[in-house]
Amino acid sequence: MIPNFNGLTKGKMEFDLEYPLTGFEEHHFHAFSTLFDTESDHSPSFLAFKSTDVRFSLRRHSLFLISQAQSSYKFDDYIAYLAVNYIDRFLSKQVVLENKPWIVQILVIASLSLAAKMRNVDLPLSDIQRDVGLVFDAQSVKRMESLILTTLNWRLRSITPFSFLHFFISFFQIGDSSLTQPIKQRASDIIFGTQYEIKFFEHKPSILAASALLCAADELIPLQFSSCSAAISECQYLNKEELMNALTIMREMLIELRESIVDADSCSTLTPKSVLECERTRSQCETPINQDRDNIKRPRLSDLRDDQTFQISQVQ
Amino acid sequence: MEKYEKLEKVGEGTYGKVYKAKDKATGQLVALKKTRLEMDEEGVPPTALREISLLQMLSHSLYIVRLLCVEHIDKNGKPILYLVFEYLDTDLKKFIDSHRKGPNPRPLPPSLIQSFLYQLCKGVAHCHSHGVLHRDLKPQNLLVDKEKGILKIADLGLGRAFTVPLKSYTHEIVTLWYRAPEVLLGSTHYSTAVDMWSVGCIFAEMARRQALFPGDSEFQQLLHIFRLLGTPTDKQWPGVSSLRDWHVYPQWEPQNLASAVSALGPDGVDLLTKMLKFDPADRISAKAALDHPYFDSLDKSQF
Repeated sequence: MIPNFNGLTKGKMEFDLEYPLTGFEEHHFHAFSTLFDTESDHSPSFLAFKSTDVRFSLRRHSLFLISQAQSSYKFDDYIAYLAVNYIDRFLSKQVVLENKPWIVQILVIASLSLAAKMRNVDLPLSDIQRDVGLVFDAQSVKRMESLILTTLNWRLRSITPFSFLHFFISFFQIGDSSLTQPIKQRASDIIFGTQYEIKFFEHKPSILAASALLCAADELIPLQFSSCSAAISECQYLNKEELMNALTIMREMLIELRESIVDADSCSTLTPKSVLECERTRSQCETPINQDRDNIKRPRLSDLRDDQTFQISQVQ
Repeated sequence: MEKYEKLEKVGEGTYGKVYKAKDKATGQLVALKKTRLEMDEEGVPPTALREISLLQMLSHSLYIVRLLCVEHIDKNGKPILYLVFEYLDTDLKKFIDSHRKGPNPRPLPPSLIQSFLYQLCKGVAHCHSHGVLHRDLKPQNLLVDKEKGILKIADLGLGRAFTVPLKSYTHEIVTLWYRAPEVLLGSTHYSTAVDMWSVGCIFAEMARRQALFPGDSEFQQLLHIFRLLGTPTDKQWPGVSSLRDWHVYPQWEPQNLASAVSALGPDGVDLLTKMLKFDPADRISAKAALDHPYFDSLDKSQF
């Protein structure tokens, strides 16, 4: 007799961004110290790149393709968020010299595939590939997955701002507990929005979480904002100055977002919607989005090696 | 894998061979754990992804053997995964053996037992606070740095990704000696308490220099336990007689645990008793164990 092993964890099967360790909701306060200790291992950084670095445009194209796939197939926001997190971390560590549409496409497909596996969700990846314009052979996608895994050192349980929401909201002394969920929900929306802005890269996930919660509190319970702000600043893990910087940028982002809703055609502001609108115009010129289905190119990942843009040798 | 120079095979883990190797670039010693990965056309299985990424995260603790990196290679089209861990020179089984047999048999110093148990409880508490069960704690899975007196937990199971076989692939029977009674009795809802049972067995083994319950079948394993601790009753452990594999057992009375672990003082015996409670709900948690008076004389500042 061998017990029926259900794996390492007691909790849910899938990776939950709010509980990155195990998805085990009966979490312990102690577990958060691990998150604070390791969050830097999971943060992308583009800070050292020149503004002309090709990775900025690879990133923009990737984000566009992902949001397009998401609106077609309605998969959960966390899959998209996670895939973008993998792409950002991958690009932070890999030197890519060329901006070719198919590099973006295989990066997007492999990242979505990994994110879906972590979330334990089946994605119609072959349909998505067809929409994206290129269908890769399974071997190439596998090798790209493998390259991403190696580059990220298999750290796929990304520590994101979502991981800290429960922790920081416990600092808020909100009289009416029915407000906790809406504040968390609003903060989550804000966090999804921050992923589009490169300037948030310089802030740690925990700082973004605290800052998003404060923005949410400011909107929903403005009278209690200052007490929330004071409470959260007490947290031993937070640098108050960093928090205030992030909060300022986040507020600007929210104001711009509001303005862009009023002025939806504007491409000049850096908001999620406008970035995507801009991308849509640009990408239509640069990527074969509407390629004929019968005329699908099948590039192989081995081509990457010829370009010597990715360090394929790492996975061999 | 040309990054590493394989030095020697140091073991046959449950999941595959383990090699001692040297990182050619840094000279650092590592343990290479080779695992066969069942790959299909979907690439790396989701379970492997989720569990290895969890190991990555847990291995940040000082009391868990650190997973340094993961090497994923294709050998003649067969995917092989090497988990690269930090290397420690011995394990607790070999360490206890060296005190029992060989040229200089001697008891383990009480202060070392205390320190090892404390580190073990620290590591287990770390896993449990992150919602992770080890489920196969045994002296072979506890690596030891003899010089520094450090003990770390290894082989956090890769349960879902790599099904745990009844026999390891070398046909060595998976040991039952540290398995909790609820697991032996077929309980499907087991929890962190299963690890604490194992910790108790390991604690006793350090004091005795031999296993407390050396059974060779599930049934015999239970008889060993019941003979020392008494046959459990429903009063003592509500619901025990309705567990799947419960049978009628001889009615033994509990023996004196202290005489089985004569090397331990009263505080040690008290802590051991709390770790070996039949009812999982009564068993002491790793976190509570750390505050037990047995550790009062330990200099905790070093941890």
